Amino acid sequence: MTKTTRRGLLALPLLAALAASPAFAADEILIGEIHPVTGPASFFGVPMSQAAKLAVAEINAAGGVKVGGKTYQLRLVTEDDQSNPAIGAGALKKLQSAGVRFIIGPLNTPVANALFPIIQRSAELTQIVDGATSDGLVNGKNIFRVAATLPLTYEPTLVDLVKAQSVKTVAIVTDRMHTGWMSLQPKLVTDIAANGAQVVAQEHMKFADTDFAAQLTKIKSLNPDMLILRAYPNESALMTKQARQLGYTGKIVWTNTPPPSTIKKNISNDEMQGVLLASTFMTDDYVRKGVPAAKKLHDAYVKAYGSEPGELSVMSYDAVYVLKAAIEKADSLDNAKVNAALQALKTTDIVAVGAYQPQDGGKLFNAGGDALISGLQQVWKGETWSFLGN
Amino acid sequence: MDIFLQQVVNGLVLGSTYSLVALGLTLVFGVLLIPNFAHGEFYMLGGLFTYQFVAMGLNFWMAVAAAAAIVIVIGLLLDALVYRPLATSSGLTLMIAALACAIILQQAAAIGWGSEPRTTPPPFRGTLTLAGASISYYQLLFIGFMLAAWAGLTLMMRYSRLGLAIRAVSQNSDAARLMGIELSHVRYATFAIGAALGALAGGLLSATVPVYPEMGINPVLKAFVILVIGGIGNLWGAIAGGLFLGMIEVMVAGYGSSEYQDVGAFLILIAVLLVRPHGLFGRAEIER
Repeated sequence: MTKTTRRGLLALPLLAALAASPAFAADEILIGEIHPVTGPASFFGVPMSQAAKLAVAEINAAGGVKVGGKTYQLRLVTEDDQSNPAIGAGALKKLQSAGVRFIIGPLNTPVANALFPIIQRSAELTQIVDGATSDGLVNGKNIFRVAATLPLTYEPTLVDLVKAQSVKTVAIVTDRMHTGWMSLQPKLVTDIAANGAQVVAQEHMKFADTDFAAQLTKIKSLNPDMLILRAYPNESALMTKQARQLGYTGKIVWTNTPPPSTIKKNISNDEMQGVLLASTFMTDDYVRKGVPAAKKLHDAYVKAYGSEPGELSVMSYDAVYVLKAAIEKADSLDNAKVNAALQALKTTDIVAVGAYQPQDGGKLFNAGGDALISGLQQVWKGETWSFLGN
Repeated sequence: MDIFLQQVVNGLVLGSTYSLVALGLTLVFGVLLIPNFAHGEFYMLGGLFTYQFVAMGLNFWMAVAAAAAIVIVIGLLLDALVYRPLATSSGLTLMIAALACAIILQQAAAIGWGSEPRTTPPPFRGTLTLAGASISYYQLLFIGFMLAAWAGLTLMMRYSRLGLAIRAVSQNSDAARLMGIELSHVRYATFAIGAALGALAGGLLSATVPVYPEMGINPVLKAFVILVIGGIGNLWGAIAGGLFLGMIEVMVAGYGSSEYQDVGAFLILIAVLLVRPHGLFGRAEIER
């Protein structure tokens, strides 16, 4: 093999990489989305990614984004974080080197934590988080969030549910690897006590555990009126089954956003009857509430992909529309101007499915960068969740 | 007292799942000296195939058996394509190859089934409550199956020609070959039994825990801890080590703090390595 041939062969991967990179046309705006489209959370991540694609297709079909008298088409560049912070950081670097300046995602708190310092430092990046729920993660400067958060929505909804159910004693099992749940636990215990119930046990488990009998046996011996599970849906389903098997008859509360289809694949309807959920609005909830935009998203999603939209699809879909609104309001593709537009954006400025509550003079985001979404209390009745109260 | 008895039952149930996974792993590691990290994927595939067959309308027990048969074929292919060509390589090479196999099988399962967890409907339900302690009939059956697998394997190893050949190869493969033992047959049989045990564990447990492509990671890590505790290649060590580990984890969570449940297990691992590096039931080897 000659030297030239060898050099040529060595250059092949580089050329292939260049060919695969999303070089964009002058009239295109690249939006990078980082979601777990493979890995353990892909059943959340794939519908989020598909919903973002749907929003981009709708915007492009409706004429694109108008900036400075010129019309741009949006182009979505998908990167897979596999729910892994290191892979997520690598995905962001890849998007940066491809010239992407607007990011949507991620779903997982650890991935969002890994991206935060990189994006915060960059004057050429704007991010809209559409899934991660933990406190922090956004700064209100160039990182914003359209997902409900633990401190603003989930935890207050849980405390309201405890109060509404008039229970006197509560036990909590928390995923000890979830930084958001763990860091807010002391405040949750205080808030529950302030509402007249006593937390008699605080137990822990971790994601992917399959046996919780030791913790649940201890809890059962204390016979609390309510068992709160601060865990992901699989583990919540298993704990519910195991608690009932051990003879626990009190109320059981889930706090994560479990797709009913996934629940039904892991626990029987009989075992789910009466399980309470303290959470927020998901795609299906908006559809059941009869929100017209949600119905439109649902129908378009089913038509495009032949399956039901995921629980979190609404957030990714809205994130694209929020970004479009901010770019048009800024009338510029400059990140600083788009960031300023996001800070000033009002709930009335956007076309969105989510019921975002106006904050501080009607703004979509508070000073920290979070949108405010209502909490929702539900109970499993029949074959799915039913709304409780209002 | 009620709660103590229940925690003992909980420890037995948890430990029996660890033991059954460890049984297949210790056989392959003990005889073929392969640190088969892909054993967790045999467990995972056993669960996923069982779920699939039940969803297609097959009887649960038939589904478990069919899943085990498929996983045996996958195991033999893995051995033929990867481990056999590397048979004379270093332990580190084999370990890296095993990790690579585990990742490939996980990815293949993710492509085939997606990553959404699902649980096979159990073949029967019901709980036995005795002296204040509860255990489901299915868990009782699982414990029985684990003990039967151990007893069957032990009898086979002691009294059958195949068992004699496997023991001979595990002690000294060169001498076994000189005695006329066909090493490839022993290798096939060992790998098939190991894969079958992993698949049976996954298939049976798919009725109680969710199955998904990454489900094998934790059990195989625990199984390696059990191998250290019980001694590599020691069948009784795998059973006793699994039950011991399950009991310790339950007691740490039940009477200590569930925040430190895993710490207890790994502290014991370190203690065993320091005090009895060949395991509680293993024999020290003298290198001559």
